[in-house]
Amino acid sequence: MSRVRLVELSKHYGATAAVERVSADIAEGEFVTLLGPSGCGKTTTLRMIAGLIEPSAGSIFFDEQRVNDLPPQRRNIGFVFQSHALFPHLSVADNIAFGLSVKRRPRAEICARVEEMLALVELLGYGERLPAQLSGGQQQRVALARVLATDPRVLLFDEPLSALDRNLRDTLKYSILELQRRTGKTAIYVTHDQSEAFAISDRIFVMNKGRVEQSGTQIDIYTRPASEFVANFVGDNNVLRGTVEQVEGGGERSVTVACAGLRLRARDTHGLRVGQAVLVFVRPEHIELVEGPQAEQPDVVEGAVEQIVFEGATVRMLLEVGGLALKVSVGGTRRLTLLGRAGQRLRMRLYDPVVIPA
Amino acid sequence: MRGLRLRTVLQHGYIWLWLLIFVLPFLTTLDYSLKSVADGSYSLRAYRYVFGSFRDTLLLSTWATLLTIVINLLVALPAAYALVRFPLPGKAFLLSTLNLALYTPAVVMGISLVIVYNYVFDIAQSFTGLIAAYVVGSYPLMLIPIIVALRDLPTAFDEAARCLGASRWQTFLRVELPLLGPGVSAGILLTFVIVFNEYLVTLFIAGPGTTTAPLRVYGLIRTAGFQPSTAALATTMQLVSFVVVLIFFRLFGSRYLKGTYLI
Repeated sequence: MSRVRLVELSKHYGATAAVERVSADIAEGEFVTLLGPSGCGKTTTLRMIAGLIEPSAGSIFFDEQRVNDLPPQRRNIGFVFQSHALFPHLSVADNIAFGLSVKRRPRAEICARVEEMLALVELLGYGERLPAQLSGGQQQRVALARVLATDPRVLLFDEPLSALDRNLRDTLKYSILELQRRTGKTAIYVTHDQSEAFAISDRIFVMNKGRVEQSGTQIDIYTRPASEFVANFVGDNNVLRGTVEQVEGGGERSVTVACAGLRLRARDTHGLRVGQAVLVFVRPEHIELVEGPQAEQPDVVEGAVEQIVFEGATVRMLLEVGGLALKVSVGGTRRLTLLGRAGQRLRMRLYDPVVIPA
Repeated sequence: MRGLRLRTVLQHGYIWLWLLIFVLPFLTTLDYSLKSVADGSYSLRAYRYVFGSFRDTLLLSTWATLLTIVINLLVALPAAYALVRFPLPGKAFLLSTLNLALYTPAVVMGISLVIVYNYVFDIAQSFTGLIAAYVVGSYPLMLIPIIVALRDLPTAFDEAARCLGASRWQTFLRVELPLLGPGVSAGILLTFVIVFNEYLVTLFIAGPGTTTAPLRVYGLIRTAGFQPSTAALATTMQLVSFVVVLIFFRLFGSRYLKGTYLI
């Protein structure tokens, strides 16, 4: 169990930067996720922490120890691969014993530890099988047991669930979280799957083009995206351009922004000035149907319904407003009343917009 | 029903016909070695030479082959590792140079070895010279299957082992070498078959003390003609090759030779 610190960590391949000055301070026992699209540098960052890739610049600390120059075998980490990478010629028990056996621990200690680990991942009695005789989920649990057996300082996960089918992913992600909580290990988890990241993380680092775009809790990232990339990558968003019309001071600053013929009020966390150009993010689920007298408010738009898709729990539609196509997502029982209304004009209110400087 | 049976018979017949054609030379030699020239009766008389002086010849051939296999392994494993896992400039050129022996005519190889052994290293007609020639001529047969196996081996195994605390050496011995089994066994088998039966290159460099089995058999044919005893030696050589290959398949077949296209 270690605190992990990355200081201005970079990896360059020729002129291209795979990872560009990534810094992070991960507390002991914290579960952190690196979330981003493929090629964003999340796996490269993880592999640098493991020692499998040498950084071009920057430092990696486990507690107070700088580990840059240690080879992976001396970092005492547990790395879980996407492909599980169980040794196919060794039994499940020998796979779990591998880390202890290369350290020449006594036979009795190894046996006891293997049993303990098999019990931990609920695979008692499977020790004599070969990895190929297990299901995908069982294989990944053995991979987990194998890294936990060596009592590593840090757990590193490289998309461990992406090769599994959906149902298995859902159960296994909670098993991973539970094991991490029970063992109290610091964990760094790489994924491109937002729901996976949201389900298990204490903190999420959203990465794009080698940089960390935003870090914070699920709620921070979802409700206050710090960039256009985060707004679009985490969940869905309507991105509008506007200008600040009015700033109201006090402890909680709020601004009024003019965009797309509307005037929207939002919280200001960026110290905006009047006349400044801004980006406004409005979640599709933050646009709701209004009917009756309150329809003349400044945050209500009228548009033509272009497209309606019934998705089950939600209904998605595109609302055409003065050349702008707003994505709208409606849940609840009300969604069903919308189904027959393609081509009609509807009035909708936009609420909880997020404003950042353009 | 009858049409179906006829087809089965034809299919099986076709396979057996080819099998027969393949083993016919061997069966004829076997027959010749057992038959007496005088009255056409069958006996094992011709085989008494096999357990006489030919035994030493066979032992020499076997010993030379085993030694070549060991040296080939020691050369080919690190070479394959370097070629596959490390960034080297001019890899393609390096690989074709290493495999030069594969496309050098045996006669050219023989002549070159004679020149080298007489003017550079003084190992003409020695056992060392014999082994050196075998290694030079056959190690590509070890190298290529190991390179193929190593290329197909995902690097995740190596990385997983090192993250679990294994040194490079432990990783190699306990993870990679066992997983390279298919390539290594194919290489051993190919080296055995080629080296044990090598004739032409041996002809150039062997001396009185290093007469291998193929050389001895051909020598007998030239001096004594086609005697049943010559056929007996030939049959014995064939059997040794055949038995070794069979044992090999039994030992490693199901585990390692799957996917090497040898079985």
